[in-house]
Amino acid sequence: MTAEARHWLDLIHGLPLDRTLKIMNVCGGHERSISLAGLRTLLPRKIEIIPGPGCPVCICPEEDLYQAMRLALDEHVLLVAFGDMLRVPVNLPRSQPRSLDAARAAGADIRPIASPMDAVAIARQHPERDVVFFAAGFETTMAPVAALLGQNLPDNLSLLISGRLTWPAVAMLLESEKYAFDALIAPGHVATIMGAEEWQFVTQRHALPAAVAGFTPESLLAAIYSCLRQTLEGRSFLDNCYAEVALPEGNPTAQRLLKNAFDVVDANWRGIGTLQSSGFNLKEVHVSHDARDRFPDHTRASRRRAGEMPPGCACANVVMGQIYPNQCPLYGRGCTPRNPVGPCMVSDEGACRIWWANGVHSQREAPICPE
Amino acid sequence: MATSEEGLIELCHGNGGWLMHELIEDIIRPALANPMLDTQLDAAKLPALEGLPVITTDGFTVQPLEFPGGDIGSLAVHGTINDLAVSGAVPLYLTLNLFIEEGFEISRLARLIKSLGQAADSTGVVVVAGDTKVLPRGQCGGIYLATTGIGTLAPGTNLGMGFVQPGDKVLVSGPIGDHGTAVMLAREQFGLSGTLLSDSASVLPLTLALQGLDGIRFMRDPTRGGLATVAYELCRATGLGINLWQEAIPVSDQVRGVCDLLGYDPYYLACEGRVMAIVSMSDAPSALKRWQALPAGSHAAIVGEIQSNHSRVVLTTDYGGERILEELEDDPLPRIC
Repeated sequence: MTAEARHWLDLIHGLPLDRTLKIMNVCGGHERSISLAGLRTLLPRKIEIIPGPGCPVCICPEEDLYQAMRLALDEHVLLVAFGDMLRVPVNLPRSQPRSLDAARAAGADIRPIASPMDAVAIARQHPERDVVFFAAGFETTMAPVAALLGQNLPDNLSLLISGRLTWPAVAMLLESEKYAFDALIAPGHVATIMGAEEWQFVTQRHALPAAVAGFTPESLLAAIYSCLRQTLEGRSFLDNCYAEVALPEGNPTAQRLLKNAFDVVDANWRGIGTLQSSGFNLKEVHVSHDARDRFPDHTRASRRRAGEMPPGCACANVVMGQIYPNQCPLYGRGCTPRNPVGPCMVSDEGACRIWWANGVHSQREAPICPE
Repeated sequence: MATSEEGLIELCHGNGGWLMHELIEDIIRPALANPMLDTQLDAAKLPALEGLPVITTDGFTVQPLEFPGGDIGSLAVHGTINDLAVSGAVPLYLTLNLFIEEGFEISRLARLIKSLGQAADSTGVVVVAGDTKVLPRGQCGGIYLATTGIGTLAPGTNLGMGFVQPGDKVLVSGPIGDHGTAVMLAREQFGLSGTLLSDSASVLPLTLALQGLDGIRFMRDPTRGGLATVAYELCRATGLGINLWQEAIPVSDQVRGVCDLLGYDPYYLACEGRVMAIVSMSDAPSALKRWQALPAGSHAAIVGEIQSNHSRVVLTTDYGGERILEELEDDPLPRIC
């Protein structure tokens, strides 16, 4: 352990905690760093870190996923998508392919990529094919997608955009007042793009302690300490524990690219519903690269999925931090990584998947130690 | 007319006729040169074996066929003889099956077979029998190989998961995940490339070095699924637990970098020239010393311990936290962000 991590842990253990305090993180990358370093096992038992709406795979609406799958199967396009979209289940009869992976096994040409640049490279390698880039993600993913649109894209490449902004989900949660956490760790990567100041509303409008964190255990521990101290002292201000990277105003170039490429529109979140001004839509000027325009049949209402969650699946509550992953009635019973029912059990950033991969296999088991 | 290295494999190279005969005589046999490989016989006659014979078989379908640090030819030797070596055996003989795709360059075939022959030669094993099939274009990724290996156990060798006891130490012979990462980089997928070499190699020097040490319980080469998978299988078979110490497990900077970028876990990435050994507490220091004295074992380390108070693979992180390593669910895929 580094001296810095030790320093923050000592400070945290020195705090006079008289009740259980819950801190929510809203970034799959944060949840992953916390789990990989085993931070929960190092914190006092009275501190609970709960995962919130931070996984773009988990909230990608079913109709978008269904559209991507049908484009690959029916139109024989070469579909490229981020790797962890491939296993997300669509709620369909078992006789049909129920994920991009299953569609691939059924003969569709679907290729995983790690960067938007890969989509352009693949389109250039296959000028004779219609290539569709299924671009799902938060601001951090959509900014590089926007950068692509600023370049000369190959004619045979179109984009099926399913981008979301992070803060509206948190704002909705706080405004609903149906939340059960005492403080928020704000997402470092999103803040790097959009500016740390974007998260001021948490402290100013809702008087909830908050801190922007980076992705090292040290930065996360610093943010946890700040959140705890603010809570104990009855204060709330936005602390920036990732100040060297996430500037108050963010990255103006990335913001300009986003603005030039997309309109911000009301958008559906899987299992949560429509959130105002929470989605990215391609601007009219890019219509020639809009997969929805190129294949209009697939956006017809009759070919859309209703977007309902499978019966019993509580992914929406997990995503909103209202329950722990292993408090879902399906967790570990009907729903495992081998046989996922809900999207949170699929992505490496999905809270259920992360908890499962770290050994929490039964319901309501303490998420910290082996038996 | 001798088979030229300039041509392409045609379906009739596998039909048993003169083209196949020439391919074997001109390209394959010279690369595997040994007096025991008699292509005129239906079956190879082996001398009587000294010691208990052991046999294993493996198939090879790696893409790309050639990668930094190895190719499918050398891999087909190392993969099979390593399975014999970690069983405590000395590998002696190999058989070789070739499944070649129509249109494959003969020069490339020659290169791969030469590499296979060199790998066998440097480990002291000989290819004594083989078969060649040609598949229509599009039916296999250029070439598939299958090898079967025969070896003999040294007297008194008795290794197995059943001998593992609480308190035993877990050793690895070198950095983990190099092969898996090198192959991934060689595919130039995901916009990544690099200079990392696969660790593909014979582990025989490593396994022989531990011979005669009473406390050796079990050895395995952590190929597909990596160190975590071998550890998980050991727990499942014995009901014992394993504690692994993150700070002790050797991982190269390049492997760590790729894992950070794509969200992979190095503990699940394949090695093709490493050994994981379970050794009694008292013999672990001398096992480590024997390994560290070898070039292939210079980064060997004691990385964990067998436990009786739980039955899972628990990784103590660099931060002192604990994480459970689970059975691999599916092929790792790059994360969205």
